[in-house]
Amino acid sequence: MPKKIMVVDDDPDIVDYLVNVFEDHGYLTCRASDGITAYDVAMAENPDLITLDLEMPHEWGPRFYRRLTLEEQFSDIPVIVISGLSGIHLAIKRAVATIKKPFDPTDVIEIVRKALGDA
Amino acid sequence: MDSKKLILVDDEEGIRRFLGLTLVDLGYTVKTAENGQAALELLKTFTPSIILTDIKMPMMDGIELLKTVKLQSPEIEVIMLTGHGDLDLAIESLKFDAADFITKPINDKVLEISLERTLEKIQMKSKLREYTVNLERLVDEKTQRIVELERQNAACQVIEGLSGALTSASNEMESGSGLFNELPCLVSIHNRYLEIVSANQLLKDRLGDVVGLNSFDIYSDRTSAGNACPVQKTFETGKGQRSKETFLTKDGEEIPVTVYTAPIANKEGEIELVLDISVDMTELQRLKDELLTTQHKFERLFDESPCYISVQNKDFTIAEVNRRFKEDFEDITGSHCYKTYKRSNEPCVECPVKLTFGDGESHQMETVVTTKKGEQKNVLVWSSPIRDAYGNINQVMEMSTDITEIRRLQDHLTSLGFMLGSMSHGVKGMLTALDGGIYRLESGLRKNDQDRIDSATKALKSTVNRVKKMVLDILYYAKSRELEMETVDASSFLTDTASLVAIKAKNAGVTFIQDIPDNLGPIKIDSSAMSATLVNFLENGVDACENPIERKDYSLSFSAARSDNNLVIKITDTGMGMDQETANKIFTLFFSSKGKKGTGIGLFISNQTIEKHNGKILVDSELGKGTSFTITIPCNI
Repeated sequence: MPKKIMVVDDDPDIVDYLVNVFEDHGYLTCRASDGITAYDVAMAENPDLITLDLEMPHEWGPRFYRRLTLEEQFSDIPVIVISGLSGIHLAIKRAVATIKKPFDPTDVIEIVRKALGDA
Repeated sequence: MDSKKLILVDDEEGIRRFLGLTLVDLGYTVKTAENGQAALELLKTFTPSIILTDIKMPMMDGIELLKTVKLQSPEIEVIMLTGHGDLDLAIESLKFDAADFITKPINDKVLEISLERTLEKIQMKSKLREYTVNLERLVDEKTQRIVELERQNAACQVIEGLSGALTSASNEMESGSGLFNELPCLVSIHNRYLEIVSANQLLKDRLGDVVGLNSFDIYSDRTSAGNACPVQKTFETGKGQRSKETFLTKDGEEIPVTVYTAPIANKEGEIELVLDISVDMTELQRLKDELLTTQHKFERLFDESPCYISVQNKDFTIAEVNRRFKEDFEDITGSHCYKTYKRSNEPCVECPVKLTFGDGESHQMETVVTTKKGEQKNVLVWSSPIRDAYGNINQVMEMSTDITEIRRLQDHLTSLGFMLGSMSHGVKGMLTALDGGIYRLESGLRKNDQDRIDSATKALKSTVNRVKKMVLDILYYAKSRELEMETVDASSFLTDTASLVAIKAKNAGVTFIQDIPDNLGPIKIDSSAMSATLVNFLENGVDACENPIERKDYSLSFSAARSDNNLVIKITDTGMGMDQETANKIFTLFFSSKGKKGTGIGLFISNQTIEKHNGKILVDSELGKGTSFTITIPCNI
């Protein structure tokens, strides 16, 4: 059964990009454009991993993450931060990785595979 | 006075002759008169000890004579001769100080006793007078003696005190330190042999080492003892001298001086030393000139310093300001600096003047002030304590340097960095989006997925547009964009600009009032930059009407008029308004009153655009009442 990755970013072009990358590597995907919808999407789609932008309208990534990890089924969900902001490596302490935009898609896939134990 | 002289007054010839003989026998020199009148006439040439007078006489009677005599010459004793009938008058006469009375017919024995008694009385009186006079003289003598002693004593003390003071003064002088050496006076001390025994350093500097020389040697024209110098005159007269003299310097130059001398006496009152204090008139003039020059220099410095200087009192009122301050700010001596500088009623949070009063150190602050013309100036404020002679800080000087130009340059540099910094996030996002577009285009082509190819192409197009807009923004903000001046019709330009905001105003429920006349004429501007600027002000006006506190009608008015060769545009909103502190800062880069919504760039850029058009912006705002911007742009640049 393929793992599901939720892509959260306010730029739809970037969401399209990441979704295509993940789907081309055999993952299922779901998407959200801000923290508030991301919470609802996560509850509905039950993803296995999240890629998260930090600066978004309505609710920023870190706050969404805190709120989501309060839910028992998401308390240990791996999160990969993908952001253009500088100095972000500690924005979410438990993030499995922090990737700066612009990124190399093969790096992202490698990190995702490691995080999901798909070696 | 011969006590044996006597006048006999009686109107009866017989009595005068008979009694006269008796009196001569008794050893008296006797003159006679027939009535009081005659007796008084006689008294002018003859002064008796005793007058013997009958009472009842024609012309002037005895009582009248008695009164007159006692008035004129009280020392003459008067004995009254009375008949039987006028005993009462005789007794009455005693009241007027008659010595005695003898009744007629006259008994020789009684006369002799009476005369003797009277003479005795006269003698006693004269003795008494002598004693009294002696006593008075004695008292006078003793008093004078005492006063003399006291005076000498006091004089002694004064002289002792004076010579003591002068001795210590001259000692200090000799020790080479002390007050005398600080005086711009040539001071010397001379002894009674007319030798200079001491001189202060200044005198030695000017005239050479003169100690041991003759007093007159220091004068250019007092070459001998015969041509007495002031010192010698002082010894001779014992009095201080004052005269204009000429001294001879060691180089043979003559210097005009005013000489004051003072005798210094010893305890015996002899003049022992003479103090010679000479004021060098050239030195005095030089010092005066120097002082004047320094004062001028200071005043010029104070006035011409390229900064605003104010001197402030302990209660933070302004005591004094320099010329530049007066030029650019209301000169309200006694007002507070925050009132004058910022039109604020509160002192600045970190008032450097207050800090300086507290610790005596200099303090620094940067702030924005408003001139009386409404211009904003960035100033760097330095405070510095002004201490009095005792080291207390009674006033603090505040120097505000206008760093608007520097700030402007700095702002420009910072804006470049800021733009790149703040845009970098967006740039990275767009680069990522471009990467994504390319990835999807490539993979779409590889997989021959037309939908993906179409979608990717669309995304690429939109991303390229975003990149283009951002680059243009950066170029615009970075001021590398030159003004593209063109001549446009002011009325239609402003009407077109207004239409860009009308919808936003309507959506926000703000009444938009336009007052743009048709005949504003042509104006030479960069229409796109100016349009963006005006839209910025207008949109801010709409934003200011957000968050209505009560149900009140908000309006934004946009009016224009031509004044001389200027276009005057007025944008007034009835929104929240600003306090002066905010109004002072609105054109500062990165200052925003809108929180996260504002970047702090808009009005900064707008201000720059207007300045580049050689225009001016005046801000008038009141918290809760609204804000009015008046923009003046010359029609031809």
